[in-house]
Amino acid sequence: MSKPLVWKFLLIAAVVLLAAAFAFPLDKRINLGLDLRGGSHILMQVDTESAVRYETDRVVTSLGQLLKTDGIAYASIVAPAAGTIEIRGTDPGRRSDIRERLERVVRSWDASETGAGTWRAIMPASYRTAVEAEAVERTLATIGRRIDSLGVSERTVSRAGIDGTRILIELPGVEDPTRVKDILQDPALLEWKAVTYPPSYRGDPASWIPPASREELAAQFGGTTPDDTELYPQDIPLQDGSSAVVWWPLQRVSTVAGADLRSASRSADEWGDPAVSFELTQDAGKRFEIATRENLGRKMAIVLGGPSDKRVISAPVINGVIRDQGIIQGGFTIEQAEDLALKLRSGSIPTDVRIIEERTVGPSLGRDSIRAGLTSGLAGLGAVFLFMVVYYRFSGLNAVVALLLNVLLIFGCLGALPFLFGNAGIRATLTLPGIAGLILSIGMAVDSNVLVFERIREELRLGKTVRSAIEQGFSKAFATILDTHVTTVVAALFLGFYGTGPVRGFAVTLVIGLVASMFTAVFVSHRLFELVLARNPSTETLSV
Amino acid sequence: MRLFADTHIDFMGLSRVCVTASALLMLASLIVVVTRGLNLGIEFTGGTEIQVRYAERADVGAVRAQLAAAGMSSQVVTTIGDPAENEIYIRIGAGPAGQAQTADPTTAALLALRGAVEGRADLNIEDEKRVATLLAGAPGLSAEQAGQIAERVLDARRERAIFRSLDELGTIEGMTPEVLAHLKREATVGPLALRSQSYIGPAVGRELVQKAVLAILGSLAGMLVYIWIRFQFQWGLAAVVALVHDTVITLGFVSLFDMEVSLPVVAAFLTLIGYSVNDTVVIFDRIRENLGGKRAEDLRPLINQSVNQTLSRTVITSGLTWLVVVSLLIFGGPPLRPFSFVLTIGIIVGSYSTIYVASPILVLWRSLLERRRGKDAGTPDGSAARRARKVRTSG
Repeated sequence: MSKPLVWKFLLIAAVVLLAAAFAFPLDKRINLGLDLRGGSHILMQVDTESAVRYETDRVVTSLGQLLKTDGIAYASIVAPAAGTIEIRGTDPGRRSDIRERLERVVRSWDASETGAGTWRAIMPASYRTAVEAEAVERTLATIGRRIDSLGVSERTVSRAGIDGTRILIELPGVEDPTRVKDILQDPALLEWKAVTYPPSYRGDPASWIPPASREELAAQFGGTTPDDTELYPQDIPLQDGSSAVVWWPLQRVSTVAGADLRSASRSADEWGDPAVSFELTQDAGKRFEIATRENLGRKMAIVLGGPSDKRVISAPVINGVIRDQGIIQGGFTIEQAEDLALKLRSGSIPTDVRIIEERTVGPSLGRDSIRAGLTSGLAGLGAVFLFMVVYYRFSGLNAVVALLLNVLLIFGCLGALPFLFGNAGIRATLTLPGIAGLILSIGMAVDSNVLVFERIREELRLGKTVRSAIEQGFSKAFATILDTHVTTVVAALFLGFYGTGPVRGFAVTLVIGLVASMFTAVFVSHRLFELVLARNPSTETLSV
Repeated sequence: MRLFADTHIDFMGLSRVCVTASALLMLASLIVVVTRGLNLGIEFTGGTEIQVRYAERADVGAVRAQLAAAGMSSQVVTTIGDPAENEIYIRIGAGPAGQAQTADPTTAALLALRGAVEGRADLNIEDEKRVATLLAGAPGLSAEQAGQIAERVLDARRERAIFRSLDELGTIEGMTPEVLAHLKREATVGPLALRSQSYIGPAVGRELVQKAVLAILGSLAGMLVYIWIRFQFQWGLAAVVALVHDTVITLGFVSLFDMEVSLPVVAAFLTLIGYSVNDTVVIFDRIRENLGGKRAEDLRPLINQSVNQTLSRTVITSGLTWLVVVSLLIFGGPPLRPFSFVLTIGIIVGSYSTIYVASPILVLWRSLLERRRGKDAGTPDGSAARRARKVRTSG
């Protein structure tokens, strides 16, 4: 063997070893995609507009609470639009006090007195952007915490979408996504609100029953409900399994809101029915104490939901002053109480979120797919190898070695990908289309061998010596091989660029396979021929 | 062994017939696609797709009725795969735009199909944690043992896809008769197990359609530019016409056989474009080589020679790739079927078009240009000469 040839084989050996080092052990290096191992892929859209609405609500509540604590009278605080609040009916004499409170709660907003005793504050654009960004951040964190408390291992939660307002969640091994989806989608904003009783009602506040329609409720208020009051529905389950709706008139300014919760856990009420007990922060506890004292013997409603869909879950009569601990009853099952406690514990999602894409593959289907992928791969490649050996004899064997090396290189590259992109902790993912891409790229890689072998045959027919036929065959076929590879890579790049998830996996394996085949089908295969020539320099025949 | 020994087939002699036939075939394809339409998957239309396996023989009509009772209009309810496996595929449309979606259509549909399994846990659904909790209540089991058995129970379920009766669990390691009896009190096996479910919102569907169209147009443009750089603009155009031909005719077959157009199918079309252009490039390379920098008066004999020279390569490569693809079609399982189908048809059409579409178009184009130049004759430094030089320099 000549010196340069030795070096070249050392290079090949080094590449093979490196590929093997990255490829093995296969199960440690290569992750199976969700479509193969089973699991859920969920894409959620954060509704940033609702985050602005929620922030406006929050400001109304904190401003109302502050004015009340400081003893500054006002008729109502309303939000005429998302990002705008209005304080009505204040004492014009306390102008500076109100301005100071506005400064404290919404420093950067544009606040002004628009009429006698009426103040208006508008959220500036920069604040709005910050609210939207924070909503996505908080949603991301909350969803992460919720999934963790479900005990799903290896979950990924990440931002997605062009403007980053989507959240991609991947949950390998989830058998039944129903419960997970409920927990993911529920903002779980919890609020306590005092009831505004209709002025016409003269009975015991503890036994007041709200009416079944908004119109009826408005009628009880003499046509229009007051500014400081909002209407909320409650679903009342009936004996026959269906449910009815009643409407509650509740104070716009909440006594306690989601952020005031310190902890929550599943417990039982005095009847032993499942309930959720909670603990408030110190600050909120003080407010709650005042509010419950004021509302002794009256009803307060517990409201739960998202920014645009809040519902009363129960409206207990306040029988004693509550400081920082309480219990929520709502006719829960054990599982519902457990899940509600989990959601409250992990924090609320300050915006509406909804699932816009879900793909769940059960583990049993994933297993079938792996089996099918292996069978079809072995059958297809077996047929290719058989043909090559039968048709090209010894040279066919050369091609088979090159193709097998190609497979090894693909796995090696897949295993090396995370290291290349600086994510050494992550494993490359092989999806079902990825397996198809792998099989297909081998089917295509054989094209390079065929091109070369056909060329060598042509050269031999022209009467060239074996050595020069091999040299000519490889050098003349090279430009063509390069062209065919580039065109397929171009198509695959478009696929990778526009494709999502599993399809991108297909593009990745296809590109890797093509690049690897430039090495195996051209360089390695050529050296193998040279090796044979070196051992038998005077050969006059070539088995091709 | 040699399949094609020194062939001298007059491919170009057939070109007129073939170009006409191809044009007619494309027209027929377009008519099929327009009249029959494409069976677009939920990735593009939005909607819900559920695949479940039943323990007993599944009744398509009953499933449809259950969904209707829950207020869902199913577009497709059909058995899928081996009939002995009692598997049902359901597709539910996205519903009219603007109408408030049920919060979670997949869950709603599954609930409708499962019916109420009162109080008891369903071992065809519960996850490992729940099963472990259930088992932990069994007499004489530690939490650790319960966890191990739960793992084995889940593994058995993955293997079988569905439990038909709790007695099947008897053979699981560590499952004593007492534990099994406990399970039978606490749990049951529901009528069905989930194989897969997908939901695609309407907005996502629209985006994916856009992306698919952009990807296909983009890759066609990419091919045009690459061949333009490597050869000439006309050659690139001829190749792209052949690619459009392949895509349209294959699409016709997809419509004719009612194959579902899903994301992998788009991937298959892009692969087809990348693959089909290979054949064309191989022949173009050979034509250029045979041209050897000279300017040929008549390309026909040259093309004939080049196609004949590369014929065995074209047939062998296409044949081998086709073998692989057919193997995917047969053994790859239902999820890969539409993908493999596209390539199975496409590779045949693509190999044909390389020989009978791309090359004749090259010739037609040339003769068209020659004829036009004949009118403003007498310019030795005309565009043809410039082109000839370009061929030489780019080779």
